[in-house]
Amino acid sequence: MTDTSIADPSNDMEPFNLQFPFTRTLGNTLSTFFSAVAQGQLIGVKVGGRVIAPPLEYDPETGADAGSEWVKVGPRGTVSAWTYVPEPTHLHPVQGPFAFAFVTLDGADTPMIHVVEAPEDQLRSGLRVEARFKEGDEVNGRIDDFVFVPATDPSPSEGAGEPYQAPAEPEIQTMDAYCDLTYVDNAAPVTRVWTQALLEGKLVGRTCPQCGRTFVGAVSLCCVDAIELDESTQSEMPQTGVVTNFTVITPVPYPGQKETEPFVRCSVMLDGTDAVLGQQTIVGIPASEVRVGMHVALEWEPEGQRDVSEIGNGGHGSTGGAVVGWKPTGEPDEPAENYVDRMM
Amino acid sequence: MSHQPVAVVGIGQTHHKKRRADVSIAGLVREAAQRALEDADMDWGDIDAVVLGKAPDLFEGVMKPEMYLADALGANGKPMFRVHTAGSVGGSTGIVGSHLVSSGRHKRVLSVAWEKQSEGNAQFALGGGKSGSIGAGGAFAPFIRAYIRRSGAPEDIGWKVAVKDRLNGAKNPYAHLKLADITIEKVKESPMMWDPLHFLESCPSSDGACAVVFTDEAGGKAAAKPPAWVLATAMKSEPSTFAGRDAVNPKAAHACSDEIYKQIGVTNPREQIDCAELYVPFSWYEPMWLEAHDIAAPGEGWKMTDSGATALDGDFPVNMSGGVLSSNPIGASGLLRFSEAALQVRGLAGEHQVPGAKLAIAQAYGANAQFYAMWAVGSSLDPLGS
Amino acid sequence: MPRTENDIAIVSYAQSPLLRRSENTETEMMLSTVQGAIKAAGLGKGDIGFTVSGSCDYLSGRGFSFVANVDAYGAYPPINESHVEMDGSFAMYEAFVRLLQGDIDTAVAAGVGKTSNSDPATLYTIEMDPYYLTPLGADVASLSALQYRALLDSGKVTERDVAEVVARNRRAAKDNLNAQVSGDFDVDELLAAPYVRNPLRRHDLPPVTDGCAAVVLARGQKAYELCERPVWITGIDHRIEPHLPTMRQDLTSSVSTRLAAEGAGVASGPVEVAEIHAPFSFQELIVREALGLGDDTEINPSGGALAANPVMVTGLLRVIEAAKQIAENGRSRTLAHTTSGPCLQQNLVCILEGDQ
Repeated sequence: MTDTSIADPSNDMEPFNLQFPFTRTLGNTLSTFFSAVAQGQLIGVKVGGRVIAPPLEYDPETGADAGSEWVKVGPRGTVSAWTYVPEPTHLHPVQGPFAFAFVTLDGADTPMIHVVEAPEDQLRSGLRVEARFKEGDEVNGRIDDFVFVPATDPSPSEGAGEPYQAPAEPEIQTMDAYCDLTYVDNAAPVTRVWTQALLEGKLVGRTCPQCGRTFVGAVSLCCVDAIELDESTQSEMPQTGVVTNFTVITPVPYPGQKETEPFVRCSVMLDGTDAVLGQQTIVGIPASEVRVGMHVALEWEPEGQRDVSEIGNGGHGSTGGAVVGWKPTGEPDEPAENYVDRMM
Repeated sequence: MSHQPVAVVGIGQTHHKKRRADVSIAGLVREAAQRALEDADMDWGDIDAVVLGKAPDLFEGVMKPEMYLADALGANGKPMFRVHTAGSVGGSTGIVGSHLVSSGRHKRVLSVAWEKQSEGNAQFALGGGKSGSIGAGGAFAPFIRAYIRRSGAPEDIGWKVAVKDRLNGAKNPYAHLKLADITIEKVKESPMMWDPLHFLESCPSSDGACAVVFTDEAGGKAAAKPPAWVLATAMKSEPSTFAGRDAVNPKAAHACSDEIYKQIGVTNPREQIDCAELYVPFSWYEPMWLEAHDIAAPGEGWKMTDSGATALDGDFPVNMSGGVLSSNPIGASGLLRFSEAALQVRGLAGEHQVPGAKLAIAQAYGANAQFYAMWAVGSSLDPLGS
Repeated sequence: MPRTENDIAIVSYAQSPLLRRSENTETEMMLSTVQGAIKAAGLGKGDIGFTVSGSCDYLSGRGFSFVANVDAYGAYPPINESHVEMDGSFAMYEAFVRLLQGDIDTAVAAGVGKTSNSDPATLYTIEMDPYYLTPLGADVASLSALQYRALLDSGKVTERDVAEVVARNRRAAKDNLNAQVSGDFDVDELLAAPYVRNPLRRHDLPPVTDGCAAVVLARGQKAYELCERPVWITGIDHRIEPHLPTMRQDLTSSVSTRLAAEGAGVASGPVEVAEIHAPFSFQELIVREALGLGDDTEINPSGGALAANPVMVTGLLRVIEAAKQIAENGRSRTLAHTTSGPCLQQNLVCILEGDQ
């Protein structure tokens, strides 16, 4: 890390898509608003002498509960600030050029931030706009159920400022929120050394010159002594060891989970070293027969079929798809009590 | 030293549930904070600063949610601080809040910790958004296996903890799980999740929040209800993995309790401390922490559990609230432990009150059993009468 | 004014190279930087009373990403340690408060951000109100552009004023070895550049930067033992405002900066240099006004966030740059500012002083 420099793009890893469908519960204020939106009605809440639209749960000024004095607002309003998005990202609600703007709806005292679909040269403070709602199957009861467009009729909205009678049980109770972000990490120098060794069928470790501990995996420092471990501290590690501990995991289903049957993850202490590899896969034996003290040997994927693409930076001994797993050698077990504490 | 006495004068928590479908994120956090203010007989304007804690933002998919939550916590124009120390975060949130008062920076501070696990999926977040997440149970099961081997504890100890904490939880109106009819048999027969841990030996996944109001000495003395005095605080960490690390009985756990014992002059924790709220997400952690915090001798923690010493009517009650095994809104879980200790010495713990509790400790831990936060609270500034 | 045991000073600092894309992980950047700062104070890892860092899980997309960074501390035997999901300058604030407990006399605070792994155009949409803004893909540049528009419409500044901010920061950055973006730029040419979010142009946005920074703090007499010229933190405060930019009292001024400046005692003496954290160029003008700085205060001799912007670090870098002015450049009273959240929602102000 003393040679820290601008990374070569060829060391970029495969993009990682962090995707998850969150489901948000709403509470009364948001439920009432989104249920009104689903009906094509915009509302605000009257709090502290002003109408806030869209309604907030708490008065941001004082922290007071904003209550439920609902007021009809819009559908027309006035732009007070705007910016133009010439090239939307996949997260924007419209896929052509559009504007973000502060729109103060008729009947409201505070602006809302929302989308205005209009050519850039029409945008100005004072522009009258009106909400255009989605229809039919497209209605979800969400903030992106509508966009603003230049008002065909600039006159004040009818009914704006009048009280809104909320249903006792608003129809919209949840909101789906799909997180969709992409990350591109790059392989640190030590990660490249580790994965290259795996491709060659080798395990390598680095030994701290101060404490003598060996770290196996994409590890470039001693976490006890806080010193860098460079390649001069590196040596090849044995490929046999003893299972020191293990977990049998009953997989919980979640989006992206591929495991369906109970699986084993074990710690393996490499013979003749103090190094333990965590979260290793055991093969050739049913999960129920995995034991502490069992001798195992590493079984590699055939050369040319070793996949290291899933191996990220850090991690102690992640072998990814370079190996099949650790296979029992059949030698008599070591006494469990000599190993069970050595999970790491 | 500028360290000034700090009092807990308000405590609030949500009704913890698998899914709090009736509230937004803000509504959840607000519910706990509002209860804490009511307990302290204060309003939003009385608070000088807010400290917010939660576990990873990936649990709800909102980055730095304290930005959005500033409004719900009445923070406009005030300092707002965000702590994140993994599972110990609830404890750290309390400690950082108390330090803002003990340092003389502020007179009245609100610490709030929360998690709304039902918005997403903790296994997903713990697995880095990838397949094959081992989850917290998978991570801790080997430690537990090692403890069992090391101590020679009988296999029913974990079941007993699971039963005891759920029976305590059944007395706690805010607890997520209220399993008044739980039995050893039911725990034993529940599915094996992460060998050797059964389903009923594991914590639930909860929505919930917890809030604490701190004041200076004058505020504590003027409080309408009895305060709890913060007598000692400590946060200790060690690296997650290195050759020879004892993850069963970690040095950082010892160091953390050593430090609070030293601050209050405790030399015999089991005798001098009245009760403890310890972060026990999986049943076996009760005896493990009793040993790691020197309440029991090495290898003897399970005997305290076995003899009933840690029951509500035992000589050293542990997890009177029902603990993490009864409610686990992850980010809030640490502050819930800290709050229960404070409720006990205030004498306000209701049906799960330990009679006459004067000195209580609380602990939270996180990540690979490597982050620790602890505090000691007393019914007076000198509960040991030294 | 004589210093007491309750006075806290910066006694050393270190920073990593600030790069568009570092080869190294956050933990590796932390190792050389944190240990570098400790060494610069003449200390070893075991001499530090409290350690705290600021970083952000969502920069890497992994929960608990900071846990690996503990490896950079050599935290064995175990250490007093904490972490904030905030800029490193807020970590410094926690260290400051921790030192005031009086039981320890040294602390290290760090910030780290491998910003280049993520895309700022999409990432910060999830920092916004999850019901009203995130579903609209409300990105930080668009929200900043709306604030800029409001500022222009207020008549307080012109686009030329803002282009001059850019030109001055980039010119100043020429003297900053760690700057990522620097050089001489003509204001008219800057004004001729196309908008990326009208009225924001590309050069109004900060660069994407990987980096790390750390400071060592010491309390009272200890500060004199560790360095010749301690940089005393004589005032530090931070404040937040309503989340939605539309709900701020005045989006074209920064109320929270003004309150933090009052809390930090900015006005109780002249400020020779101010390091302002303004990730979007025009924000420097808003912050400067809120801080109440006069024309005699030099702004951002480092080039500021426009020269390098490692997220979660940029604020602590302002502290270090302001401290350098005292420790290395003979100044006696400087200011550092950090911002967080959309449109300057949260602001920290810190006053640094050297002994006369």
